[in-house]
Amino acid sequence: MKIAVCVKHAVDETELKIDSSGKPVLAGAASRMSAFDKNAVEEGLRLKAAHQGEVVIFTVGPAESRKTMKEALAMGADRGVLVAADTAAIDTMRTAGMLSAAIKRSGPFDIVLCSEGSSDTYSGQVPPMLGEMMGVAFVSYARKIEVSGQTARVERSLEDSVESVEAQLPVTVSVVSEINEPRYPTLIQIMQAGKKPIEELSGEQLSPAGAYREASTASMSAQQSARKRIMIEGSPDEAAAKLVEALMKEGVLSK
Amino acid sequence: MIYSPEHRRLMEMFEPARHQEYSEVLSSLGEFMEKEILPISPKLDTGAAQINGPRKALFEQGMSQIPFPADYGGLGLPFPVYATAVELLGSADASIALSVEIHNAVAEGVFRYGSESQKEARLEGIITGKKLASFALTEPSSGSDSGTMATTAERRAGEFVINGSKMFITNAGEADVYFVFAKTNKGPSAFLVDAPNRGLGFGEELEKLGMRGSKTREVLFSDCHVPEENLVGEEGKGADYAKEMLHGARIVVAALNVGISQLAYGKALAYAKQRRAFGKSISEFQLIREKIADMKSGINAGRLLYLYAAKLKELGHDYSSEASQAKVFATEMSLRVCDEAIQVHGGYGYTSDDLHRHWRDARLLTIGEGTSEVLRMLIARREMARSS
Repeated sequence: MKIAVCVKHAVDETELKIDSSGKPVLAGAASRMSAFDKNAVEEGLRLKAAHQGEVVIFTVGPAESRKTMKEALAMGADRGVLVAADTAAIDTMRTAGMLSAAIKRSGPFDIVLCSEGSSDTYSGQVPPMLGEMMGVAFVSYARKIEVSGQTARVERSLEDSVESVEAQLPVTVSVVSEINEPRYPTLIQIMQAGKKPIEELSGEQLSPAGAYREASTASMSAQQSARKRIMIEGSPDEAAAKLVEALMKEGVLSK
Repeated sequence: MIYSPEHRRLMEMFEPARHQEYSEVLSSLGEFMEKEILPISPKLDTGAAQINGPRKALFEQGMSQIPFPADYGGLGLPFPVYATAVELLGSADASIALSVEIHNAVAEGVFRYGSESQKEARLEGIITGKKLASFALTEPSSGSDSGTMATTAERRAGEFVINGSKMFITNAGEADVYFVFAKTNKGPSAFLVDAPNRGLGFGEELEKLGMRGSKTREVLFSDCHVPEENLVGEEGKGADYAKEMLHGARIVVAALNVGISQLAYGKALAYAKQRRAFGKSISEFQLIREKIADMKSGINAGRLLYLYAAKLKELGHDYSSEASQAKVFATEMSLRVCDEAIQVHGGYGYTSDDLHRHWRDARLLTIGEGTSEVLRMLIARREMARSS
């Protein structure tokens, strides 16, 4: 089975600082493999363990993305394809265009895996766009994938239900974090990852500017949550009654 | 983030040729420790969790392989990388760091002084953590003065028969291999004792002030027969081997204490910023700022000292004085930092297991593996010899 896994070298949101105007400080921010992408890599490795074959990692980004690529290779993937592009200057459609062109060029693949969204911008747009551009079935929010013959049986984790669907291979699937527990590469795997092949392609050549109408980011700022700062005082009994009253007033509780 | 940008910069300075690769290794190891070891650390202190599982997971990651050559299952990385890894582990859990540090000191002893057949039989197992190792030197009535040890090894019909006891032994009762020092006719000698052995017994687990996650027991030898080929190196050279093994271990103990200090300091800094008194954050008071400045300066100085000693060792220079300087400074600094961290937290510091355990853990290491007093004598002796 040939498995493609798409990963993103993303800003480490846990280390992100916000400036005084409420904007995230992206220049010089720490970066790493987008957290959920590790689940996609892990699932690719599990499918390979069950069906044999090859796991190829694809990423679109600057040279620094090699760090993320190496991390995925250290986890156990066989080789990587790095599509060089300035991710800050391209939109999700163009990213998907570059990925699909690179995957088609290195394919064919039986299954293309992504995470549901990146841990920095979390737009969740690339996976469905990629599925569409690949011209294959797309299944989102997978919490379980089983492949038998040419059929993928996927459990989709929806807000209040789980849906089971079947799709014929080849298929593009986005996974949720509950699908698995990503492995930690051992130190020796990290050291050996540097010896695995990484092919570098030009994003501009795969998907030239103007291929799509691109969206641009008008502004980005940290979410502000206004607090009402309601203090409730009194004995526990009195406070509980006042709390219930306040919650009903806010519409959180109803009679 | 246990492996911080500060560590990364230092790695660039100490190991410029391959710092990126080493930082990848340390960063991944740090992430593993942060997610898998740090959260259970308080439970190891109270006994609600046991050391075996996390230590095994850490061995599987490759923690003990770091400084040893690939021929024996190691990664062949420089000593400063290994020492930094122990610092990270000291921040994640001091007890596991102690257990692993001693285990690795034995690996180094087998690597340096063991015969090829001893290495073949045990070294890869120790380096990969499949066999746990323990170092048995101290006795109920002798510590740093190892020449006065009472444990004996008598040669009898192709075997050595060991009798006596060893005190305060980390990993005792759990280890598969014991690096034991005992006196023969030719003086203190080193032996490998594989468990189980009918003549090998253990005292009750000792109650300790800190480092409670690690197991410490007395090791008892009662007509403990070991084959002649278990003698390590030359008969009568045991005291020299112990000294050399402890020099390397002292660098690592210094790193461990820097790790403990870093964690305690991080908690104190966060608390100082958040805690308010007299209408403002206590971090705005000059006396609290003095503590923060002194804690941070001490940590950085300790880190530089252990990295310097580790680099000297890597380059093959005499590092005995620097290793002792690093240990004396870092262990004493660590006590001050952990004490100040309690002070910054006030009553919460005194009553919180999760905070005062850092001071309790740090307290061991101005005693263990060479007391500050003995090491100061060693430093002075070495420096006087160098200057003459």
